[in-house]
Amino acid sequence: MIILFVVLPLIVAGILPLVGKVSRRVLPDLLANATLLALLVFAAVAGRPLIAGGPVLQQLSWLGEAVNLRLALDGFSLLMLLAVSLVGLAASLFSIDYMEHYGAKANYYALYLVMIAGMNGLILSRDLFSVYVFLEVAAVASYALVAFGLGHDELEAAFKYLMLSVVASAFLVAGIAVIFGMTGHLDFAAVAAGLKELNAVPVMAIASAFFLLGFGLKAALIPFHAWLPDAHPSAPAPISAVLSGLLIKVSGVYAMARIFLNVFGLTPALSTVLMWLGVISLVVAAFLALGQKDMKRMLAYSSISQVGYVVLGIGIGTPLGIAGGLFHLFNHALAKGLLFLTSGSVQQATGTRDLDAMGGLAKRMPVTAATNLVGSLSIAGVPPLNGFWSKLLIIMALVQAHHPAFAVVAVLASVLTLWYYLIIQRKAFFGQLNAKWAAVKEAPFWMTAATVLLAVLCVGIGILFSLTVTTWIQPAADVLADGIHAVTGSWGF
Amino acid sequence: MTNTWYLYVFFAAALIGAGLLGLLAKRNLIKLFIAIEVIGKGISLLLLGTGFAKASILTAQALVITYIVIEVSLVATALALIINITRHTKSLDVRNLAKLKG
Amino acid sequence: MILQTALLIGVVIFSVLAILLRDLLKSAIALAAASLLLGIIFFRMNAPYAGVFEISVVAGLITVLFVLTIALTKTGEEVRESRLVKWAFPLVFIAFIVVDALVMKSLLGQVPALAAGAESGSFGEVLWRARTYDLVGQIAVILAGVFSVLALFRKREKHD
Repeated sequence: MIILFVVLPLIVAGILPLVGKVSRRVLPDLLANATLLALLVFAAVAGRPLIAGGPVLQQLSWLGEAVNLRLALDGFSLLMLLAVSLVGLAASLFSIDYMEHYGAKANYYALYLVMIAGMNGLILSRDLFSVYVFLEVAAVASYALVAFGLGHDELEAAFKYLMLSVVASAFLVAGIAVIFGMTGHLDFAAVAAGLKELNAVPVMAIASAFFLLGFGLKAALIPFHAWLPDAHPSAPAPISAVLSGLLIKVSGVYAMARIFLNVFGLTPALSTVLMWLGVISLVVAAFLALGQKDMKRMLAYSSISQVGYVVLGIGIGTPLGIAGGLFHLFNHALAKGLLFLTSGSVQQATGTRDLDAMGGLAKRMPVTAATNLVGSLSIAGVPPLNGFWSKLLIIMALVQAHHPAFAVVAVLASVLTLWYYLIIQRKAFFGQLNAKWAAVKEAPFWMTAATVLLAVLCVGIGILFSLTVTTWIQPAADVLADGIHAVTGSWGF
Repeated sequence: MTNTWYLYVFFAAALIGAGLLGLLAKRNLIKLFIAIEVIGKGISLLLLGTGFAKASILTAQALVITYIVIEVSLVATALALIINITRHTKSLDVRNLAKLKG
Repeated sequence: MILQTALLIGVVIFSVLAILLRDLLKSAIALAAASLLLGIIFFRMNAPYAGVFEISVVAGLITVLFVLTIALTKTGEEVRESRLVKWAFPLVFIAFIVVDALVMKSLLGQVPALAAGAESGSFGEVLWRARTYDLVGQIAVILAGVFSVLALFRKREKHD
């Protein structure tokens, strides 16, 4: 029944407009959040027993006929599903209060659920073209969500995002066509087997280049990042949280990792390219983040930087590196989601995102200040929070794989990260309370509840990191480290 | 790969190239989107040409149909964005969309 | 094959016209003409379903959407395109075509491919049995498109 991850949000999204006519706020809030909670429970509780015996391959039967809905759930997919459900639920709870003044809540939740369905659909795909289809589903929903406020900035950001995204998609399909041309198949198992047999390195290099361009833009790796610093700040805060926390990871990193490691096989050349792309994003984006005055823009550049970290970790190719990369992906989803949500609380309370205009908000918004601190320290990699352990794993993997220079750069970039996050913390929350904000109140209930939920998870995973790694991260890392065998072995038709 | 495949790839690349050049060169929002449509044609031609060369024309048709459906949703969303943008800037010039620094 | 090549050249010409023509309405019609020719090309490739979709959806529906947008965005002032582009575009494009032809020539026979297996079943079976997951995706993307348009055209109540 893993098809529920895709079908349930779609069905609820389908009936939301009708529900919205009846009840403008309560029922849509309830339905959307209940759906996401159900998905979270499914992923967290039923997920691991399902894959205990190896990957689950679904072949459904509908109305008596065998319908070929081919899905696959293994350790890697399950980790991503869990991340999507967690951050998706938190941002959705946040939306209950935050989206009040945007209006059209039922419409918003419908788009939101379609985006979640698209991401889940991508995660569960066994087929190159299905990856593309669901990538587009999530993308089309996200364009309208970025532009949801219908202000000039949002429309401009959404338009640029759309233009660049469509070019990336075109390259993806071109890559898929080349692979189809070579192997005559589209599903992962057959393609992996076919490519191994053909061993056509130059043509595979062309296809890899197309995929790097496409997925690299979706993941906002430098030099394909230009759309992100405009799109993520302009979107409503919960959407920024989902875009930075989930969409760039699912459409970008997950798809790239799945195809490059499980279908193509990670060659040393590919590994080098990924590591360099990762480290360049890591460093350049960190510097770009330093100069920002807009809180959400700084967070956006930080996302580019941290995704660079993840790609660097996965690019190393060793089990430790992959584990570190995936752990950091998960941690960053939680922490960056948290930070965008708190920035939304601040924006709603003060009406501004300009760091220089804020000051001393901790006195009036203590919970938001505390959760923001947790998120910042987590991404900066301060023990004992979760981000520290994932960064440590990546750095250890770099040293072990004889890349000491990369390790030093990664450590220095971490220091830089800590620096600019402390700038946010200091300018916005600590210091003298700016007279303008003397009357602001703490954020409404659901907004604080969502941020507290994510903050508690950051702390909890940090303390229980060993348990988290063995339960969730290791199975995912094993799948990727297996390379082609993960797909040709047990997914074979 | 049969030689006809290279013929179709040649023309598909020509279409995609024309579209990309159009994206770089044009300033009218609607023209930019027409350039994207041209890229879409190139991609459908590439997919079908590949299917034809591999004697998998049925699978390729299914792919192209799905691709066209996705394209329709995309066009609807993009044109809705463009109409909203003109309500704000009263112009179809992409240079008016330079407020955000990127 | 000759006819096919001629049709393909026609598609490219009409597409370039669609990009270069100054009048938006003429551009949209050129695009529709290119889609029409492409649909005929698909028919001759033994892909009637794709041909039908290309003609009815891309040449039909999408052209209508374009014309609607052009009508709704008549702003009165024309967007001045760069003059450099007017003669630079054809030159660069021709250079691109030449490079394209050379690359294809050099790639002739270089791209390895596995022997193609025979395709079984009818188109309906392939679409509904083999690509069922894509159909779920199609439904999802249509929902996304519909909700996007609803969201972007909603009545603006007082918001910030």
